[in-house]
Amino acid sequence: MTRLWWTQVKGVIRLELRKTFFAKRGLWIYAVAALPVLLFIAYAVAMSHEQHRTATIARDSERRLTYQDLLAIKPGMTKQEVTAILGKPPLDFHWTARRATGPGSSEEISREDLQYSDGQNDLYLNLTNGKVEGINIHEGFNLGEDAVMFAGVFQFFFLRLAIFFGCLGIFMNLFRGEVLDRSLHFYFLAPIRREVLMAGKFLAGLLATCTIFVTSEVLQTAAFLWHFNPQARDLYLYHNHGLEHAAVYVGVTFLACIGYGAFFLVAGMLFRNPIIPAAAILIWEGINPFLPALLKQFSVIYYLKSLCPVEIPVSPGTPGLFALLISNADPVSPPVAVLGILVVALLALFVSSIQVRRMEINYTTE
Amino acid sequence: MNDRIIFEDVSKFYGEILGVNRVNLSIPPGITSLVGPNGSGKTTLMNLMTGLVKPSRGRIEVLGYPTDDPENLFKFVGYSTQFDAFPKGLTGFQFIYSYLCLSGMPLQDAERTAWQAIERVTMVDAASRKVAAYSKGMRQRIRLAQALAHNPKVLVLDEPLNGLDPLARSEMIALFRASAAQGCYVIISSHILHEVDVISDQVILLSNGYVVAEGQIQTVRSEIQEHPTQILVRCDRPRELAAKLFESEYTIEASIHNDGRGLLLKTRDADRFYLAMNQLALNGIQIESIAPADDDVLSVYEYLIGNEEVVR
Repeated sequence: MTRLWWTQVKGVIRLELRKTFFAKRGLWIYAVAALPVLLFIAYAVAMSHEQHRTATIARDSERRLTYQDLLAIKPGMTKQEVTAILGKPPLDFHWTARRATGPGSSEEISREDLQYSDGQNDLYLNLTNGKVEGINIHEGFNLGEDAVMFAGVFQFFFLRLAIFFGCLGIFMNLFRGEVLDRSLHFYFLAPIRREVLMAGKFLAGLLATCTIFVTSEVLQTAAFLWHFNPQARDLYLYHNHGLEHAAVYVGVTFLACIGYGAFFLVAGMLFRNPIIPAAAILIWEGINPFLPALLKQFSVIYYLKSLCPVEIPVSPGTPGLFALLISNADPVSPPVAVLGILVVALLALFVSSIQVRRMEINYTTE
Repeated sequence: MNDRIIFEDVSKFYGEILGVNRVNLSIPPGITSLVGPNGSGKTTLMNLMTGLVKPSRGRIEVLGYPTDDPENLFKFVGYSTQFDAFPKGLTGFQFIYSYLCLSGMPLQDAERTAWQAIERVTMVDAASRKVAAYSKGMRQRIRLAQALAHNPKVLVLDEPLNGLDPLARSEMIALFRASAAQGCYVIISSHILHEVDVISDQVILLSNGYVVAEGQIQTVRSEIQEHPTQILVRCDRPRELAAKLFESEYTIEASIHNDGRGLLLKTRDADRFYLAMNQLALNGIQIESIAPADDDVLSVYEYLIGNEEVVR
């Protein structure tokens, strides 16, 4: 019997994949999945351009500088002291300006902006009357910052919006789309258990969403690493948990597809209008940090947040509500998180299996 | 295993709208036609029979199996619906093949069986074209092929002759007859009464969700007491025959046929009337034929349901 069911599941998957991957009404899902990739490509292009500019400045420097050389400059130093340490500046802008000294009186001052680079980091110096007043070091490559930025895009765009709405588009249409197309009877007339049909459709949806979003995730990582030089890439991947993080992100993407997929499968059977369950689930996931501990467990994002490898720090100036959304005050251990998602998904699939047995073909009421 | 399709006190309501009410049926093998005007409950009855809708009340069994067990039910039931929609992007062949794959049939068997079904409805040339590009008649035939593909014991066909040209109609009717001759249960709904009359072994007449009559058409006709039986007598001297027949108490109305070579009679006691006819024949009137004129589906339909949307 199990063998027959598996053969039938494969039959359903074959039919569904064709529709899921090539449906016109699902094209927007590809666009949503591609957005973060495009974002990281744009970021990589911008960073490459910046690196090229920085490298040009470093090349034009009188001597080869190190990051320590850049840090050696202190406020109050004279231009002579600066050039003694860093050499003649490759970029030097100077002009005169007037500065107010009292009511109705002013004096003419000499202003100068100097720029140095060690090839990766830029040093911007503001001099007034030949003395250093402002120092600004712009770090061209900061693994920590970049990893946090990637985590931010993953958690707040990819996970909560792209995968969420992608799963909505695919899983809600597995049954709902057939009803709208008036073709669900095709499946209901086959000698196949309704639960097996549901399982086949769920697996087809899972295969489609995982293919789309895991591919997107891999491409995002590739685009994110694109502007790194080989040494930095090795440092990030092999010595800074980069490879491990990439694998975890793929795993979280997979689990998100399972969790949201199961939710939207059952929602597609219970609701005619997808906006209502989408809004309800979005709100439910959004208010998760404010929910009591028991209710938190019936949320997908609660477990996914706990699995994300990089925690996003809350800046001191962040508004309280937003800070609460960012922080993960009550994380669970990875095994519990994985188990939690699977249990929540199984619960949703159980409800779906009851619902699919009750479904009738009555297109005229749609 | 029960060898009938059983409806026991079945009712179906769509909200407050009545689909069918208090239906009790026991359908034997052979061709059974569901006849009734639009909205009489024909499609609802077929959908109930195949589990596409669930009864609000009552019990349905198809050859001993409940209708909420599709895994077993559709091993021996094929249903050609009236729904004119197909899974998107499929060719005619893929439509049948996918259906057979869903059944769990091995791929090679599914391919062979799909081609056999397509051949049965003479659609081989169009099988590789997308169903979306098919004409109405071709879509009808490919749906029939799907219903027939796994050689079901019970064939449920909702308006199966709609959209078919005369040649295809006669081919399909021959197909239904062949299935019935092999002991299959062929349940057909149709508006086209003369075709129903020709092919049906038994009829189920529906009106406003109620079964108003069921059984062999002659039996149903004989049970309609308020309408006298009409008999067409072909003879050489119709006026003389009419005069003689009025002498008996069984003839209540007689009219000369348009061609002047026959007599249309109405009687409330057909058996005695036939005995009287024998006597008259012996008295020298040349009688060519005697045949009932209103024991067909059309007449029964008119007597029981009226003239609603009948296609003669």
